[in-house]
Amino acid sequence: MEMVSTVQNTDVKQKDADRALVVAVTTRAVFDAAAGDVYGMGVAFPLLQKVNERLLEKNPAESLLFDVVLIATDSQQQSSRIISSTSHYGLEVGRFCFSSREDLVETLVVNNVQLFLSTDRDEALQVSQKGVLSALLGRQEAPSESLRVMLCGDAIVRPDCDPVPASRGAAQSFSARLGEMRGRFGVSGSPLSIVLVTSSGGSKSCGVALQTLRSRGLSVDEAYCLAGAPRGPILSLLRPHFLLGDGVIDLED
Amino acid sequence: MSEIKAKDFAPTGDAGEEKDAAKAHFDNLKTNKPRPPKPQYAVTIAVSSRTLFNMVTERKIYEDQGLEEYVAYQRDHENEPLMPGPAFPFVKALMTVNARLRQLYPDSEELFDIVLMTNNHAQVGVRLINSINHYGTLHLQPDISRLARRTAAAAHTFKGSPLYPNLHTMSLQLPFPLSDLTIERFCMTGGESPTGYLEAYMTNLYLSKDSEKVSEAIEEGIAAATMFMAVKENELSDTQLRVAFDGDAVLFSDESEIIVKEGGLDTFFAHEKKFENTPLAQGPLKCFLEALGKLQRKFYAKNERLNCPIRTFLVTARSAASSGARVLKTLRSWGLEIDEALFLAGAPKGPLLQKIKPHIFFDDQMFHIEGARELGTISAHVPYGIGQKYNKGKLIESPAKKK
Repeated sequence: MEMVSTVQNTDVKQKDADRALVVAVTTRAVFDAAAGDVYGMGVAFPLLQKVNERLLEKNPAESLLFDVVLIATDSQQQSSRIISSTSHYGLEVGRFCFSSREDLVETLVVNNVQLFLSTDRDEALQVSQKGVLSALLGRQEAPSESLRVMLCGDAIVRPDCDPVPASRGAAQSFSARLGEMRGRFGVSGSPLSIVLVTSSGGSKSCGVALQTLRSRGLSVDEAYCLAGAPRGPILSLLRPHFLLGDGVIDLED
Repeated sequence: MSEIKAKDFAPTGDAGEEKDAAKAHFDNLKTNKPRPPKPQYAVTIAVSSRTLFNMVTERKIYEDQGLEEYVAYQRDHENEPLMPGPAFPFVKALMTVNARLRQLYPDSEELFDIVLMTNNHAQVGVRLINSINHYGTLHLQPDISRLARRTAAAAHTFKGSPLYPNLHTMSLQLPFPLSDLTIERFCMTGGESPTGYLEAYMTNLYLSKDSEKVSEAIEEGIAAATMFMAVKENELSDTQLRVAFDGDAVLFSDESEIIVKEGGLDTFFAHEKKFENTPLAQGPLKCFLEALGKLQRKFYAKNERLNCPIRTFLVTARSAASSGARVLKTLRSWGLEIDEALFLAGAPKGPLLQKIKPHIFFDDQMFHIEGARELGTISAHVPYGIGQKYNKGKLIESPAKKK
């Protein structure tokens, strides 16, 4: 009998379930199984936490915060070890979910996850196809001042294609919430940076993407219009922590 | 912006159907303008927002009132196109060359590619994009003042409809292909210096108003210069791109300039005579001259040498008799041609440049830049070499704020 068990992390103050921006990540993405090291997410975690801290600094009663759910789908992993490692590294995880690969999507839906982060492209794609917004975690070599969220603008400008990607609705509502969060900070010095990249289409269509996002409440900080130029060199400079698009975009192009 | 809508929206059966209009709009975005060239084949020119457009007023707001006010101001005015900046005539001339290249080589990617490279915030970018689009549609409405000067006798009645005030000029016979302002690529870093991206966009030449960024680029081996508006406007060719270069410390290294500064003119002349057959080392703009030469040869290959839309000039303080030979021999050894070499033997460059009327003039010495500007030449300072320490006029101050 499969069971999905959810355990609250008592070390961390629980967020308002209705207002928080729930971000789920698998243990695989956080812990490298062999070395027990904190991986790509390890770099994003402190930055996520910094966003929360800065939001609370501005308003101690702030409810629009990141709420991280850590999902373990590998029955080999011991729940106690996961919880203690989380505590050891000081990761601000709100809840732990002990699930299975088959129940991953259900776990995400039940926990009202708005964004699922993974280092596994297939896993992210699978989740995305079921309507939950997914993003790949970027590998970080250099430290960053802010959490960099990259949006792929081609998806925003593209007229409704058939079939419409399953996660399109989730993407729109997420970007609105993210926009609200970004809006709490000024033009400079924000712990959250929104980066727009358009690969095809010229400057005009990137301009349309900028204005479309703005109309949804998301003010972009940086914009790069490639108009067919190769993405690799730019992406390696931009080093986003999360990359969102229609479906899932591979960061290592 | 009604002119833009009239041009870009394909007619739809049901004008109220937003979705159809958006789709048609997107399709038109794809088919209206020629596709930008692949960066690895193109000659990529990166221009900053302040060189492409005149942002003097906005800059003042930034300096006096800070970043938030500046961004808010730009947002409030984002449907007002910005006026052209110092690089604008140069960029328009590049588009003219592209139009000619596309006529002769319809499938080639060897074209100029312009990238807007700015550390502006993306919200300011909306105004920049709108401004680019505004000038991009002006190919239907050629520069009225220039045409007026040319057809002064016939054109004393400039009446047009309110929507298309320049419509009547379309009946004028124009002997050259009109070019759009086509800037399809950009990089808006939201505060970070964009110089890190120059290489990623395969930049051949970077133009900015910020001398610090220009110096950084030169240190990375990318041709770059700080642009200065001319004090008055010379009338520039709209059929031919004209680029003028200083020699020492621009096309060539500053090795000879060091000798002048340290040993005086006589030492310099003796040295240059002695080493006449030794090529000078290359300077920061050599590669850009090389790129121009490559495109020129494409015209020569099609028998268009006499009608070539690119012309290059060397404007040097060297004299033809004593120190000029080494320069010409160096160019020859590099396999590079320059269309006109002008040896001033120390005379001021301003008056000569006023006659040449280049779209841009590169020099390493602010003294020459100032002289050129005063007489109407748009100038670009190359902050390289010994000339930076020994300037007669004021020292080059980098602005206190980086943005």
